[in-house]
Amino acid sequence: MSNPAKTVRITVDNQVIEAPEGATLLQVMLDAGLDIPHYCYHPKLSIDGSCRLCQVKIDGMPKLQISCNTQVRDGMVVHVADPEVELTRRGVLELLLLNHPLDCPICDKAGECWLQNFAMRFGARHARTIEPRRKHGKRMDIGERILLDQERCILCRRCVRFCREVSKTGELFVFNHGDHSLLDIYDRRLDNDYSMNVADVCPVGALETKDFHHRMRVWFLEETASVCPSCSNGCNIMISAARGKIWRLTPRRNDEVNDTWMCDAGRLNYKFVGDAGRLVTPLVAGEGGPAPANWDDALQRAAGAIGDFVKRHGAKALGGVASPHLTNEENFRCGEMLRAVGVERIAMAVPRGKHDDFLIKAEKAANARGVRELGLVAGPDDGLEELLRACEAGEIRGLYVCGGDLLEAAPAERIDAILGKLDLLIVQDLAARPRFARAAVTLPATTFAEKDGTFTNHAGRVQRIRRALATPPGWRADGEIFTTLLNTLAARSERFEIAAVWEAMSRDGGRFAAIAFDRIGPEGAPLDAA
Amino acid sequence: MAVQVVNVRRPAATFSSAKPWLAILKGMWVSTRHFLGNLGLFLRGRQDFAIHFPEQRLVQPPALRGMPVLARMADGKERCVACGLCEWACPTSCITIYPAETADEVERYPEIFDIDMSRCMFCGLCEEACPEEAIIMSRQLEIASYTRAGSLWHKADLLVPVEQLKTRTDYIRRNYER
Ligand code: SF4
Ligand code: SF4
Ligand code: SF4
Ligand code: SF4
Ligand code: FES
Repeated sequence: MSNPAKTVRITVDNQVIEAPEGATLLQVMLDAGLDIPHYCYHPKLSIDGSCRLCQVKIDGMPKLQISCNTQVRDGMVVHVADPEVELTRRGVLELLLLNHPLDCPICDKAGECWLQNFAMRFGARHARTIEPRRKHGKRMDIGERILLDQERCILCRRCVRFCREVSKTGELFVFNHGDHSLLDIYDRRLDNDYSMNVADVCPVGALETKDFHHRMRVWFLEETASVCPSCSNGCNIMISAARGKIWRLTPRRNDEVNDTWMCDAGRLNYKFVGDAGRLVTPLVAGEGGPAPANWDDALQRAAGAIGDFVKRHGAKALGGVASPHLTNEENFRCGEMLRAVGVERIAMAVPRGKHDDFLIKAEKAANARGVRELGLVAGPDDGLEELLRACEAGEIRGLYVCGGDLLEAAPAERIDAILGKLDLLIVQDLAARPRFARAAVTLPATTFAEKDGTFTNHAGRVQRIRRALATPPGWRADGEIFTTLLNTLAARSERFEIAAVWEAMSRDGGRFAAIAFDRIGPEGAPLDAA
Repeated sequence: MAVQVVNVRRPAATFSSAKPWLAILKGMWVSTRHFLGNLGLFLRGRQDFAIHFPEQRLVQPPALRGMPVLARMADGKERCVACGLCEWACPTSCITIYPAETADEVERYPEIFDIDMSRCMFCGLCEEACPEEAIIMSRQLEIASYTRAGSLWHKADLLVPVEQLKTRTDYIRRNYER
């Protein structure tokens, strides 16, 4: 990459386009905003040249060329709006549709299907055949999370190349030749950790995820660009929501992070957002155990309890547990609040799990790096062992806990013994967990899909998350909880607005200072470049 | 929802373009015709011009669009495959469908199919959008209810044996050239 490629100029239908020498003609035309139909070409997979739909006329060539396998040359003259090209496309589409089942009313892809779209834009409107269409496998269970419909397959081999080149597992093959070609698995099921990406690369509804199968029409979905919350890789995603619910997550292209892929575990980890067991009202400790309270009362109780505790035991006896699931802004405000009270020891519990050398990272939370960059926690275990020892030694007698990860951070007996000794426990969590039953106040936490903010991924890339779902009226998101407590305990009058918090973060020094909030584009902004 | 904005060209009407005037004249002719007809009846002694519903009912033309209903097949199941096109076509968004999977060959069916009749305006766009001839404008017009909840029709209430919808299905096949 050190030698910037020479720029060449080509002409497409009288429009002059500049491109780096050797670039793929199809990609150059697509980048220039031209509407060139194509199926087998995918920017992140090798060239296959099997669908023949991308053909264009090039001066000096004896016949039409597939633009996906042609490199641009200086002075190349290309014709797209040309009767011969149009006739060829119509012919290719007619052949693809010869045996297509026309399942659109029951096909999950309908509405975002490349065969529908290109057939409407470039194809003939009527079939000329009356012969019965070929019959093949429907709803074939070829993997834990994937269904195959062989009748709908147009044999573009994108999925085959994905399994060979990206997941490197090679489960899918095209068997037989010519008219008898069929896509199928061979000796093992399509169960790799990235298997659901085949449903994204498939231009038609031949590969579908079981999770989204027959559940919602794509034209009802509202898409919100966000970031996967399930590990520290921070894959870029689209949240598809409708009727107040998330129906699927799909990867969004970011060449710096995840190309156009995401792992299956991350893709499926959205159901906790709409979980029936989520805590929706604050709980305060009462005579007969935790009882629901309104937000203002619960926040008053929490602030009062913290104030009393500090008066009685001193601020040093209060500890904090930050959450790697909360955004940079929320964690900054959390730190501000705890430090305003005088808290010295803050730790973080990060859930861990399986990882690989592609996307999946061991830290199963999106923003552990952000908490570290903010200087809230230090040490290889993020101060956790030190905090637990201080609790066991009785130096710390009160905890402000964000998230439920603490419960899994050490053997259950040890954590429960510590929690059992505390004089004050305040919890901010997605669910009311029995092991936190001694909490004086439990405040509902807010998920990644219900708020705006930024996450810092494992490599220090700051990326935006955006609100896709509304919260009930009167709801206080995590940042607002910290802000209310800060204002009450330290007599401040802050508001939780992301841009303003970001400014405060910058004033505070640290590496976030060098990134302007509005400079965080769709690809995020690396802390290092600053 | 992803909504595409299409800018429609609307040429301004001018005095010289005859059509608006023709339409006004046509409308005035309809009123005049009824007025003269009723005047004639009145002069011949008729006093009462009302139709005494429900004892008396108008004979409705075959093109009538009553409330939309779902066609029920001989096996007792709906013909609808929950494709969601009527739901999308409906200008008042009064249809709500939740699809689900079935073992039948059609693969999917509407687990929930609700129509809010208090919002329906009997436009028939749902019927026109349906690729399965599964939602049909029936001849049913008497759908008043004492409660709002009563205006929300669920799938079980909406299913009508397909033979009973023949007048309309014949009519739409003729008119939509199916
Ligand atoms: S299943 Fe889809 S991606 Fe795979 S070859 Fe067929 S059409 Fe292409
Ligand atoms: S690799 Fe990590 S960030 Fe990417 S999709 Fe999976 S869980 Fe989400
Ligand atoms: S008749 Fe019109 S308003 Fe009524 S359900 Fe059908 S599309 Fe909607
Ligand atoms: S358009 Fe027809 S098949 Fe589709 S959901 Fe409506 S009634 Fe059912
Ligand atoms: S996209 Fe070029 S041949 Fe398929």
